[in-house]
Amino acid sequence: MYIIRLSLPVLFIVVSLIYAVMIFQLQPAMLGEPNAPRYFPLIICSGILIFSIVDLINMRKENVRQNEDLEMLSRKSTLKIVGIVLGFCLIYTLIFEHLGFLISTILFLGALLFYLNGVKHWILNLSVTIITAFTTWYTFSFLLEISLP
Amino acid sequence: MDFSIIIDGLFTALQPINLMWLVIGAILGTIVGILPGLGPATGIAVLIPLTFGMEPISALILMAAIYYGALFGGSRSSILINTPGDGSSIAATFDGYPMTKKGQAGQAMSIAAIASLIGGVMAIFGFIFLAIPLAQFALNFGPAEYVMLFIFALSAVVALSMGNIAKGFLTMFLGLGISTIGVDLQSGVHRFTLDVPHLTDGIDFIVIIIGIYALGEVLYNMFNINKAKKPDQNIGSKWFTKEQWKKSLAPILRSGPIGFFLGILPGSGGTISSLLAYSTQKQIAKNKEEYGKGAVEGLVAPESANSSAAVGSMIPMLTMAIPGSGATAVMLGALIMIGIQPGPLLFENSPDLVWTLINSMFIGNIILVVINIAMVGMLVKVLHTPPKVLYPLVLVLSFLGAYTLGYSTVDFYILILAGVLGLLLRVLNYPVVPLILALIVGNDMEQNFMRATVIYDGPVSILFASPITIGLAVLTILSLSYPLIIKLLGRRKKKDHPMTM
Repeated sequence: MYIIRLSLPVLFIVVSLIYAVMIFQLQPAMLGEPNAPRYFPLIICSGILIFSIVDLINMRKENVRQNEDLEMLSRKSTLKIVGIVLGFCLIYTLIFEHLGFLISTILFLGALLFYLNGVKHWILNLSVTIITAFTTWYTFSFLLEISLP
Repeated sequence: MDFSIIIDGLFTALQPINLMWLVIGAILGTIVGILPGLGPATGIAVLIPLTFGMEPISALILMAAIYYGALFGGSRSSILINTPGDGSSIAATFDGYPMTKKGQAGQAMSIAAIASLIGGVMAIFGFIFLAIPLAQFALNFGPAEYVMLFIFALSAVVALSMGNIAKGFLTMFLGLGISTIGVDLQSGVHRFTLDVPHLTDGIDFIVIIIGIYALGEVLYNMFNINKAKKPDQNIGSKWFTKEQWKKSLAPILRSGPIGFFLGILPGSGGTISSLLAYSTQKQIAKNKEEYGKGAVEGLVAPESANSSAAVGSMIPMLTMAIPGSGATAVMLGALIMIGIQPGPLLFENSPDLVWTLINSMFIGNIILVVINIAMVGMLVKVLHTPPKVLYPLVLVLSFLGAYTLGYSTVDFYILILAGVLGLLLRVLNYPVVPLILALIVGNDMEQNFMRATVIYDGPVSILFASPITIGLAVLTILSLSYPLIIKLLGRRKKKDHPMTM
């Protein structure tokens, strides 16, 4: 639980440090003040770093155990379901342009529905998957004239 | 004021195509609002691709209808299953759900709809009289004034994330940081693009918004996916009694203006307005002991304020391009994308668009009352939609929405990252609105900041550039001191009445 609570301020501190390195690697401007592209990001970088540290210090006052959502997220069962859903999202991202919208969406939606809704409701899962995939494909490709892979 | 423009706006709003989008938006918004976990911001974000190819005015009407439709719908799930659709309908659970337990669900829903209508209509009149002077005032703004306005709006949003000031600033700076990705418009230097060509134009903030609101929300709802509540089919009488109406009228009329003025403030939105309207109503009520047990006044006051705040929050969004809430932030992004540039010039260049929107809001509020009273049985059925089927559909729509923005799966990775970030921000109580607002205004803020530093010879002089900048600086200091003042007042109250604690 504490690791999850720590994750964001620590992540933001790391992000601000990487951001700082990248700011100093920026090309100088060819016109006007050479350092102009760095000024605004520098202010932001300092802000992220300072408030991440403040947040980290403030964490001592927080009673992490009173956070019901955090307690729920820390459970193995919740982490598993969130992880699997994110995994499906990543696979969808990888196959989307290769298999095209229709096939990849049928696979993605079907997998999600079978995983979340169970195999027992296979008729509902299949019909929702096919109807949704075809309806959205038709609406976007023909009615809204948006080209999908 | 030229009333012929208002009449023209009414006729445009009444055109069949616009009426059709209004009704579709109202129904979609109500459904999105009813479904727990899907608020107006998520609804608009997911449905943005629908507006592609539409006339700008129709798109604006549709999005606004989804927005206030979701607010109407949000209170339905509060009343029926004690689960608010989003933050702004939390207050509706206090007395709405107890009314359902007393067998008065139908009456609670119909009087809540009427309260929302009256609150909304009051705010529309407020909009008519306040928006134009504000837009004309904003015409005096130069780069320095805009920088100070952005600073004030951001600090107000952070200050209103009560108890989380450090977290508010942190998410705000994070939003500003994301907005710096891409080509710097003044120098042409590529910044933080990691050599990914798709990032040259920057990260589309709509992708982040969809990720945080839709994907993050779906991931959050996975926590309780097996524990979905279902409403009782028996909702009792649909029509409220004369006595209930008598009790409700004064609270509705009192709470509307509260909601409207709070709605105008950046960041306050419907949640604070409805909670404040509820507590104000309870404080002045003679029957305090009935509150929380099904007092109709306790239901209508926050409903009127909530609806009024929704209209109020459109004023800074349309006149100054400063969104007042998460939902208006999404709307602002979507409007820019379809070619409408909100700001003071919108009222000068496209008054027809503004007045059509205002008239459509008026008609839309009436349509929503009809939908919410006549179709109450159907709306109850919407709550039976299994979340295990609903959330996968929301995911598909989110990915589709992200793809149609940039036609690249790079946006899918950004969407997933934003979804995980949204989940963690929510679980660990970090306010999201400062991040969204900063992300939207970040680019303009930087450009104006750089221009103003050149014009006024340095960043400090921006503060004293004009009476407007000085005024905005004072407002910024006041807004940042607000949480401190509240804290001090709270301590003094504790000292004065130690026994009450």
